[in-house]
Amino acid sequence: MKQILNIAYYEVVQILKDRILFLIIFFVPLLYTLLLGMIYASSILQHVPLGIVDLDNSVESRNVVSAFENTNNFNVIPEIDTYAGLEKGMKNGTVRAGVVIPDDYSQKLSQHRLTQILIVYDGSNLIYGFNTRRYFQQVLNIFSADHTAAYLGGLGMSKQEITNVMDTVSVNMQVWYNPTYNYNTFIFPGLVILILHQIGLLGIGLTITREKERNSWIQYICAAVPQWKIFMGKALPYFIVNFFNYSLLLWVVARFVNVKVEGSLALILLLGLLFNIIITSLGFVISLYSSNSLQVVRYLMLLSIPLFFISGFTWPGTQMPALLYWLSRLLPYTWMAEGFRWVTVKDLGYNYLNITIIMLSIIAAVTLFFALTFSKRRNPPVGEGLVVNSRNTYPSRF
Amino acid sequence: MLKQCPVIVKREILYMWRDRGLRNILIIGSLLGLFLFMGIYSQPRIDHISTAIVDLDKSGASRKVIAELKNTQDLEVVCYPDNFEQLEELIKRGQVTVGVVIPENYAKNIALQRQTKVAVFIDGANIIYATNAASAVLRVTRTLGAEVGVKTLIARGIQPDQAKEAYQSIDIREEAWFNPTLNYAYFLVLPLVLNIWQQCCMLASCMNIIGESGVRSWLQIKVSGVSTFKLFFYKSIVHVGIFMLIILPVYFLAFVVFKLPLNCGFITFLLFTLVFAISLHSVGTLISSFSRNAVDASRFGMVIALPSFVISGFTWPLAAMPQWFQPVAWVLPQTWFFQGINYLFFKNPGWEFMSCYFLTLGIMSIICYSLAALFTHGLKARFR
Amino acid sequence: MEPVIIVRNLLQKTGRHTLFNGISFDVLPGESFGVFGLRGAGKTALLHILAGVDRFKSGQVEILGYNITKSEKFKRDLGIVTQEKSLFLDMTAGENLDFIAALKKASRVNVYSVIERYELKDFLSEPVTALAMGAFQRLSLACAMLNRPKLLIADEIIKDFDLYSRNLILKELRQFQAEGGTCVYGFSSIEFCEQMSQVGWLENGQLHIYEPKEALVEWDRQVKFYSEQSDGHHA
Repeated sequence: MKQILNIAYYEVVQILKDRILFLIIFFVPLLYTLLLGMIYASSILQHVPLGIVDLDNSVESRNVVSAFENTNNFNVIPEIDTYAGLEKGMKNGTVRAGVVIPDDYSQKLSQHRLTQILIVYDGSNLIYGFNTRRYFQQVLNIFSADHTAAYLGGLGMSKQEITNVMDTVSVNMQVWYNPTYNYNTFIFPGLVILILHQIGLLGIGLTITREKERNSWIQYICAAVPQWKIFMGKALPYFIVNFFNYSLLLWVVARFVNVKVEGSLALILLLGLLFNIIITSLGFVISLYSSNSLQVVRYLMLLSIPLFFISGFTWPGTQMPALLYWLSRLLPYTWMAEGFRWVTVKDLGYNYLNITIIMLSIIAAVTLFFALTFSKRRNPPVGEGLVVNSRNTYPSRF
Repeated sequence: MLKQCPVIVKREILYMWRDRGLRNILIIGSLLGLFLFMGIYSQPRIDHISTAIVDLDKSGASRKVIAELKNTQDLEVVCYPDNFEQLEELIKRGQVTVGVVIPENYAKNIALQRQTKVAVFIDGANIIYATNAASAVLRVTRTLGAEVGVKTLIARGIQPDQAKEAYQSIDIREEAWFNPTLNYAYFLVLPLVLNIWQQCCMLASCMNIIGESGVRSWLQIKVSGVSTFKLFFYKSIVHVGIFMLIILPVYFLAFVVFKLPLNCGFITFLLFTLVFAISLHSVGTLISSFSRNAVDASRFGMVIALPSFVISGFTWPLAAMPQWFQPVAWVLPQTWFFQGINYLFFKNPGWEFMSCYFLTLGIMSIICYSLAALFTHGLKARFR
Repeated sequence: MEPVIIVRNLLQKTGRHTLFNGISFDVLPGESFGVFGLRGAGKTALLHILAGVDRFKSGQVEILGYNITKSEKFKRDLGIVTQEKSLFLDMTAGENLDFIAALKKASRVNVYSVIERYELKDFLSEPVTALAMGAFQRLSLACAMLNRPKLLIADEIIKDFDLYSRNLILKELRQFQAEGGTCVYGFSSIEFCEQMSQVGWLENGQLHIYEPKEALVEWDRQVKFYSEQSDGHHA
């Protein structure tokens, strides 16, 4: 135990001495979280810039206009008043949606003839596209209801009668887990886990490459200290820091970023624990088998985005080819991100997460196995071929 | 001046080739990304959202509702649980996204003109799905309301065509411009690949100066009296040339094999990519000019390159970010690039609009290269 | 007497290059075995195999009675001084001693004793990167001795550093052997031959065992041979 603590102590000393590493493991997770929190600060997409081309300019058409003006979802841009202007505005991004009311709108309406309103939205950014589409449906439902009520009123029906008729069937729509379509609640759990995953790996991923670069790895190899003690000692500081970051980010996200974090605390902690074991042991293994720090940094960082998208966090895995789906199921990130969402957003209990927990435990056992039983022998340094930056050196100012 | 050019170019190509890690990243990174993201978005439309219906009424009227739900392309009824508890379980487990409950006595209540409520539950955990499901449900709601309403009115003795008119207010035509099928692959695949590409390029350009000044052979260069400007000028040409070379097969696959629709001319698109490659390389060069070693340079580069896609407002729009943050976002060349390719790819807004993008990226390159030159000069002075 | 090191048919390849082509030798307790060879002959590679740092292709290596491919126990009684600096360069001398003592499970008493014997007291709070070569080498040896090893493997331990340190190190090494310790040295200048009880000459993947005097004779013979050859060219 004393040996482990000693190794841990000197690992901490090394972290403190490498200022950039220190910043990376203590501040970068928080920094990224705050940055993302800022980016998604508004969290609900509203005030979609809308151009209304009212070619009719009658009382009836102005009703349509006011229906759009009366909602927070749209922000009517008054400068756009011709079809050409709308086309241009859509092209240069001044507006993201448009409504075109034909010039014979009121006339046809009074003749009870069919008339058509055109609604357009920008499909080039589907976050706008999808939301705008929904907002249009909402406005139209309200508008249609108003129209029907007015028509029935014109037939001499009383208010009570009208409500009775119109409410015969009402559809009561409930959106569970994220009723306000909060983008933060949707994307943040995944991003936070990704940050912890990548920065966690990056921190411990350099622990042995660093020793190899300085040749001091030989001291570990030549001492009669068993592998598991080296791992435990070196991993301990990172394990604690990662867990600290996990709790810190959770707190920040729940407190300042307006993300829904619910669910059983015990489950959140259990998931965090398993995840953390995986990250520290996986990072250690990566470090063991990489030849230098440059390699670790390069490959790890590049993996972030593929990891996030393959995990099915935004685009479900069931929509992917089977091969990709099964590949994603081998990755700890996939399980953790999904499990974390289930607990914090959907507030599900143990019985829904048993497979996630089992899978995370299996992955943790595998990574731990490799971290605890590595061989204390190096491959002999190969007679230096014509390679650059692939050995345990890389360019550095001398 | 020109005599040294091929020598430096050749050496730089050899250097990049022999950096095996970087070589692999550059060659396969973007291509792998393309295949991966094409795979992920191989079903790029959000339709056939899995729906479960609890029909507690099992009457003709309730089957009409089901038919109406089945009618929309967006929803696909996958199962009919017996009760609400089963439905809830399905939504919790994420097996269905939309749940519909048709109450008991639905048909009877309608016939008696008593109020009745159909309940719809949507799993909001994935809002991409939830948003589309909600749109579909709202549309069904309208048609369903109209259908029942017309019937009710007729039952009340109102003329059928009047009853119809009451509900047939206006016909609405809905058009999604630029991406009419709301294809998610068109929206996201190419930018994601370009994002990987820009990260790879960032890693490579971060080596520009430190890769030279950080090894002992720097002394040889210094002694040889070759001008540093000339050296890094040719090096940079090689880098940018290679960046363009590795994106070409990606563009070929994307536009010719996978047939992503490109609205602007290919040459314009390529030119824009080139201008960005130069500005990205200038940022990388700047970073490598002040870093202590290659690892630090790569770390700095990645700190910028990693979140740049999110900051660029390609997905979550810039307009929805805090007012004060927007100018900060526009400092990154990536923001100009990703916004620019969105315009070029979907809208082709014309030279007048795009010239500003080209110009800004150009100016950024000049600034960054100049700063890098300043730092490197200082570096040279220090070792003199 | 049971040998401390038994090597049989050691074969080592790095890439396509065969480094050792079937080496065999024994080292008895109390001996000081010198591995001699010119640059690139593989001295460091051989010492790294003996210290259980590098893998090897085939053959049998037994150290202190343990087969080193199967056991790690021999490392408890092993000390190593490497040719390349292998102390923790981002720490002070004192921290290095403390930490390596922890890795080796060496007691405090040992730490204090080596500080005294190698006269390191003044350097304890200095970063090792700031130490002069002589002091650094004393520290390296001190770290190797922390666990009171039975076998010391030292690669190029004497370099061109100050004579005071050199003398101190040589004295301590003699003391170590007098107490029954076994040493394996790697060295590349022939004059150290005389300090050895046996010399293993590494050349072209083979190890020839010489008595120190024989080795000197062989060296002289080769020097003469090559100088005559080049003279012949001139003529």
